[in-house]
Amino acid sequence: MKYAAVLGADEAQSTGRGKPGFVAAILNDKKALFGVVVLGIFFAAALFAPLVAPYDPNAMDFDMMLAPSGQFVLGTDDLGRDLFTRILYGTRTSLLVGVSTVALSLVVGVALGVAAGYFGGWIDTIIMRYIDLQWAFPNFIVAVYLVAVFGAGLLNVIIAIALAFVDDFARITRGMVLTIKEEQYVAAARVSGASDFRIMWRHILPNAMAPIIVQATVSVSYAILGEASLSFLGLGVEADTPTWGLILADARSFISRAWWLGVFPGVAIMLTVLSINFLGDALRDYLDVRETQGLW
Amino acid sequence: MSAFLIRRLIGAAVIMWAVATLVFFMLRIVPGDPIGAMLFDVGGAEEVEALRRKLGLDQPLYVQYLKWFWNLLQGDLGSSIYGSRVPVAQLIAEALPRTLSLAGLSFVLALVIAVPAGLIAATRRNSGLDYGVTFVAFLGLSMPDFWLAILLIIVFAANLHWLPAIGYVPLAEGFWPWLSHLILPAIAVGTAFSAIIARMIRSSMLEVLKADYMQVARSKGLREHALILTHAFPNALIPVITVMGIAFALLMAGAVVVENVFSIKGLGRLLIQGILNRDYPVVQGSILVVSAIFVFANLLVDALYTVIDPRIRHQS
Amino acid sequence: MTKNFDQLSNAQQARIATELTDAYDFDPRDPLFGLSRDEISGATLKRRTVLRLMAAAGTLSAAHLLPGFGVGGARAASGGTLTCGWSGVGEITTLDPAQINQVLQFQITSNVLSGLMHINADLVAEGDLTESWKVSADGREFTLKLREGVTFHNGDKFDADDVLFTYNRSRDPQKSIHARVLKNVAELKKIDAYTVRFTLKKPQASFLTKALERSSGRAMTIVSRGGLEKLGTQKFGLTPIGTGPFKVVSHVLGQGVVLERFANYFDPKRPRLDKVVIKPISEAEPLAAAIEAGDIQLIGGNPIAPELIDRFVANPDLVVSEVPAPGFQAVWINPWHPHMRVSDFSKPVSELMKEKGFKVRLAIAKALDRDRYLKKAQFGRGTPAYGSINPAMGYYFDKTLAKTSNQRFDPQEARRLLAEAGYPNGKGFPTLRLLTTPSNRRESLVVADILKRNLNITVKLSTKEWSVNTQDFATMNWDLRRSGSGGDFDPDDGLVDWMQTKSKFNGRKRDRSKHPFGYFSDAEADKLIDEQSATGDLKKRRALVHKADKLTSDKVACAFLFHPSNILVYHKKVNFPKQSRIPGLVDLDRVTVS
Repeated sequence: MKYAAVLGADEAQSTGRGKPGFVAAILNDKKALFGVVVLGIFFAAALFAPLVAPYDPNAMDFDMMLAPSGQFVLGTDDLGRDLFTRILYGTRTSLLVGVSTVALSLVVGVALGVAAGYFGGWIDTIIMRYIDLQWAFPNFIVAVYLVAVFGAGLLNVIIAIALAFVDDFARITRGMVLTIKEEQYVAAARVSGASDFRIMWRHILPNAMAPIIVQATVSVSYAILGEASLSFLGLGVEADTPTWGLILADARSFISRAWWLGVFPGVAIMLTVLSINFLGDALRDYLDVRETQGLW
Repeated sequence: MSAFLIRRLIGAAVIMWAVATLVFFMLRIVPGDPIGAMLFDVGGAEEVEALRRKLGLDQPLYVQYLKWFWNLLQGDLGSSIYGSRVPVAQLIAEALPRTLSLAGLSFVLALVIAVPAGLIAATRRNSGLDYGVTFVAFLGLSMPDFWLAILLIIVFAANLHWLPAIGYVPLAEGFWPWLSHLILPAIAVGTAFSAIIARMIRSSMLEVLKADYMQVARSKGLREHALILTHAFPNALIPVITVMGIAFALLMAGAVVVENVFSIKGLGRLLIQGILNRDYPVVQGSILVVSAIFVFANLLVDALYTVIDPRIRHQS
Repeated sequence: MTKNFDQLSNAQQARIATELTDAYDFDPRDPLFGLSRDEISGATLKRRTVLRLMAAAGTLSAAHLLPGFGVGGARAASGGTLTCGWSGVGEITTLDPAQINQVLQFQITSNVLSGLMHINADLVAEGDLTESWKVSADGREFTLKLREGVTFHNGDKFDADDVLFTYNRSRDPQKSIHARVLKNVAELKKIDAYTVRFTLKKPQASFLTKALERSSGRAMTIVSRGGLEKLGTQKFGLTPIGTGPFKVVSHVLGQGVVLERFANYFDPKRPRLDKVVIKPISEAEPLAAAIEAGDIQLIGGNPIAPELIDRFVANPDLVVSEVPAPGFQAVWINPWHPHMRVSDFSKPVSELMKEKGFKVRLAIAKALDRDRYLKKAQFGRGTPAYGSINPAMGYYFDKTLAKTSNQRFDPQEARRLLAEAGYPNGKGFPTLRLLTTPSNRRESLVVADILKRNLNITVKLSTKEWSVNTQDFATMNWDLRRSGSGGDFDPDDGLVDWMQTKSKFNGRKRDRSKHPFGYFSDAEADKLIDEQSATGDLKKRRALVHKADKLTSDKVACAFLFHPSNILVYHKKVNFPKQSRIPGLVDLDRVTVS
């Protein structure tokens, strides 16, 4: 509806700019550069956590609530676990959840959007109804419901959060498809006998990617925040895998005695989301996408 | 325009029905038996069955649905299955003002900060001030709201004792008590929203300031300040307004975690507790109300939008 | 019990020992339990008498005998408002005595509603709405002279008709969940406007203290006829009308209860406070923040989260008083799990010890380092448990079990057992799922860690909300589970409710073709427990209780973990006189705020 009006036809030409341009754009923008570097560090941390971490994230061997020191860089928590190690391992889950939720959501949402936009008719009507329906649902509440009912666990959390972004992806994609399918090259492809699938896959989709990519980056940051909120409510991933939200939730009662438990995990979340937002912003400017969907 | 609105109204009603139905079935077909849990310590199989029968939970699903829907149309949202069996409508009536107060105050606080900030950033583009505002905005929307809430409590309530740490006082009992209990939560909820609005206003203003009609106005000799306020700003607001509508509704739902941290028994909290307790009527009623607010806010924004932007009026 | 008991002086310890012995020193066949009629009649009952009656009723706990805590007799001015936080609860669902079943609820009703009797902190039973009473020689008739000039909060006058009304209401299982308490009453007769007579079917000297007490008795907590009629049951449950020192002026579910001084209370000297605000605060952090910021001055309700206690103790503005709580917590082990299978417990322990499944079961129990658990999970509060009989039960608690039980902590022995069962150093042993609730998650992590350290087996948490959790437990859909029991004042609360084949928590909803019994079933234990429940002779009962306790411990009915502590926290400017510090209650009628 109104978003489609804003996004409009301008997007159709924001394609095909090569990689070098983007890299240059990032290097020029201080914020984006910061974002890339920090994210890079976090990704590396996630990948190499077992090698880099000084201790086992679940080992309760040490004294409880020790302040940051040489031995425990960020201190220990209320059960005697090293905070730095836990935050390091938390990177894995947070990034994993962030990326996989959005990936899942993207695949489903884009498929729906393409189908709706391309085929039109009753398919479009049904899918649009669903999008409108999901729009009216408080997504976070639904996520809470799904996890509360089906149990806490990595897969459940991913599905629950992924569900929340499906309507945004579907809506954007549909809007793009509606515009693109009127283009010359699509008509040409159809005339030359290409199958529907081929047209959607080869011609339409690539040209629709710009706003989808931007939406994806924004969604990752919301996914990470959402996972943290779910964990905070006690409905996140299971207790033996530390996630930042979980570390914060566990730390609530102890923060007055051990400020490091409340500060560092929150800082980690903030830095990650910040970096993604910087990058997303740069992407948006680069791809000249005007609007993004939803606010979670 | 009225035809457009009427169609949207009907659409909204349909959506509400679909939401309610979906939720109804969703809640019943999942693991977790609340009656069994409620009477776990006290009752045997017979007591559980008796209570189940009393609450009408033993009948086939479609019968329960029809009964519930019929009651709904008469304004009866059912009663909580726990304790004193308080009517859901009453629970919601008690919870709603709290969430509305919180969302409302967050909304106002957010705007009070965001609008000037966005304007300043846009008009002093690329200056230190602009970078400052932008950076703070980014920080604001990157912080988890519950984290901010906890930090606020620790600093302002536990250490400085300036503001209370928990609870809610109705407006009827005094303006300052009401306000003082809501300031910290409102900051926690409103910060991300404020950041988003500030950035939106900034980018929207930048767009507008570049536009043709601005050049025209400038060439007429109008001063920059007047220009900004009378020409640029209103136009810049258009895309922002579209966000406001759902944003308010989202503030309400999003306040759930913050309500949790500050022990404010608002709608979000009611909903979460209901879900965790499998209190079917409470969850149904609450989701319905939240959805209704979403849809209504959406509708309102649509109406506003058609008034503001003539282009849209004649579309669709 | 041990911690606080040890802190007492020798003289105090001796006194408690004497009181305990005296309390249990009677012939159970004597309907008056060795007391004279005079001792059981009058306007008050002396401490010694009350102790004897409580012992006879099986409700005497060691906690009752510890010297009271609290500031004594500070002459502070009356008036003022006390704001309380009720811990660990989101809303106080009902205050209707016929429906309440949680301590946090009758902590409140004890201030709003009166009973016929009330036991104070010195364990003196005073008449509440009764002036005096007489007991017949055979211990079956109780004639009560009611207090005159008492009014309800709504102005109605209190008289014998109200007692009858309450009695008829409580007797009806459709209206009250406490009907059982009055099963022994044959008849309640109104003699005149201010005299009633209870006639019991069987002599029960403890009737006074058990059934008529205003808070824990509940069955005869006097409700207002007029109030009920006017408000209806549902509203009455929110704002009950009684004759207590405080009246309920508002009750918003989820936000709290507001009480105000009842000017026409029958004792003009009470209450001292003008207003009491009770706010339910379910999370630990907001609760702590609230009392530290001074938003609330006292914490009642459910047990306070252990991580907060040290924080409160360190705070010079707060007073923390700790007593043993009646209950036990355990790690339940599913005997139907293929690697821990025990299909028949009804054989001697020596036979069981040869079975692979039992070896694993015992290994888990013996690997539980209870001291480490208490230190990490409970911050040192509580005592290790080896059976369902808890230290607060005083007389029935077996202090020697810690040393004699088959389950006592021994990591080397545990490892040896596991190896013998075919899993040397945990090799080949599958991952076990520990079923727990979100609020127990933290301490369950400690349990999992301990098992990993001592047996090298992997235990993963399965955190499920209460309703799903109980369902899974009842259908035997779990490997291990962290849970326990509270409010256990009588051995029956532990043994009958948990340790028998027919216990109500023992796999109630299981598929009987797959699981012949739930988490435990032993013929000998069943018999012993039935026997102790029916035995009136207390010494004999104690022997049977000890036997059953040891048997269930040796045969690992579950891996017993610890007995919790009960803690009351309040601001130092709150004057909580010793008279009011009744175990388990939060009676505010003599409390003042300076």
